[in-house]
Amino acid sequence: MNRGVGIWRCTACGAAYFPERLLCSRCHGQTFATEHVTEGVVEEVTVVRHVLGQNEWGPRRLANVQMINGPRITVGLRDESGPGTVITLFRDGNAPFGVAKK
Amino acid sequence: MFTNATIIAAGQSQYTRRPEPRQTTHTFIRDAVVAALRDAAIDASEIQGMAVTSFSLAPDTAIDLAWRLGLSLRWLLQDTNGGSSAMNMLGHALRGVETGAASPILVVAGDATGLGGYAKIAANYNIATREHLAPLGHGGPNSVYALVTTRQMNKYGLRKSDYGHLAIAQRAWAAKNPFAVYRTPLTMEEYLSAPMVADPLTRYDCVPVVAGAQAIVIAHPDRCPHGRAPVRVRAVRNSFNWDNQEGEGLQTGISTFARELWKAASVDPGDVDVASIYDDYPAMVLAQLDDLGMIKDHDLAAFAQREVGERRKPINTWGGMMSAGQPGGPAGGLNGIAEAVLQLQHRAGDRQVKGARRAVTTGYGMTLYRYGGTAAAAVLERME
Repeated sequence: MNRGVGIWRCTACGAAYFPERLLCSRCHGQTFATEHVTEGVVEEVTVVRHVLGQNEWGPRRLANVQMINGPRITVGLRDESGPGTVITLFRDGNAPFGVAKK
Repeated sequence: MFTNATIIAAGQSQYTRRPEPRQTTHTFIRDAVVAALRDAAIDASEIQGMAVTSFSLAPDTAIDLAWRLGLSLRWLLQDTNGGSSAMNMLGHALRGVETGAASPILVVAGDATGLGGYAKIAANYNIATREHLAPLGHGGPNSVYALVTTRQMNKYGLRKSDYGHLAIAQRAWAAKNPFAVYRTPLTMEEYLSAPMVADPLTRYDCVPVVAGAQAIVIAHPDRCPHGRAPVRVRAVRNSFNWDNQEGEGLQTGISTFARELWKAASVDPGDVDVASIYDDYPAMVLAQLDDLGMIKDHDLAAFAQREVGERRKPINTWGGMMSAGQPGGPAGGLNGIAEAVLQLQHRAGDRQVKGARRAVTTGYGMTLYRYGGTAAAAVLERME
């Protein structure tokens, strides 16, 4: 696990992206600087309780998160954080997760 | 408007939740093609073009399908735009016939992924899904549209029961469709007490995956069987990646062209008798109807309660995918078009909307990351 989630910021216009883009959708620049965002605010939450083709499935919490100074992303919650909670972001592989900020 | 190109016929295969081992995507597509050709009274040797979409044809492609079907063609297309593939193929096929590239053209969509196969597709839908969503345990598009639905409920003041009106009304239509996989009437009590799948989506909000296929035939109106009205497409428009996934997902690409669509068709939203709205989730039905300008004052809740719940406005009159079933993914868009054709040709049996003359059909899909990236709509009219 790594602290923060990497985003890509266009060096020409400052637009921020996740996942990575090939060209900036606003100015079509092709150079991006990577940043690590460590916090976000939970906007909506769902609990995935049943999945097609899976017989042994434990509920998973997913959230739409507005990153602080970054884009909105989909995050796996590792606790009971709800809408409005400020969470600490971390990365497990390429996937973003979060827990309530302490 | 197209003058030389019309939709003259439609056919479909059986729909089933659990295909038998001998049944494959290819055999379902064959069954739909045979049904459509029979419906058109056209011999297979006369077909000059074919468009196909499927998530489960691989490693075969459109040319393999042409070979297996024994079709020698001069126009061939394979579309990969998910829920708006059928609309996309419809536009290409109409232009193909209109310009003389080929006629008749078959437009075909089918899938038989099986439940396990669909789960694999859902986890590997694109690179973004494979790398950033599937490892979260997102379990496919249900979780994505659960978040969209919550946003829509918060923004428009919708209650869970508002979505129930759509599910219940479509189930009532499905009861009159012998091909629908779920035809037992649904009550609001049953809807509200159904098991939760991904909050706030319950069982009846999530489109059931089936195996099956659909086909329509595009040709000059002179080729339409005697005594049957051809269906003219007054306008068709598409949108791809309209907002770069930077919005809320509560509007679709239809919002970018709706005004132009109605103007090109010389039809007002209120002139439509039947609507086939891509219904992977109830929230997206309301979003597309609103984008089309068919919801007064953007009051989604009032529309659901009065127009759908009380007045049973003819929306998704074959039961929609929510009750009739969704073959895989891309095939879903074609059943709405085929239903509109049957309605406008006054061949929809017990579910016929009396005197139907005009229809609107939509497609929506390809969940890129936070919501769908493709959308399309067409205005269809019965030629007298």
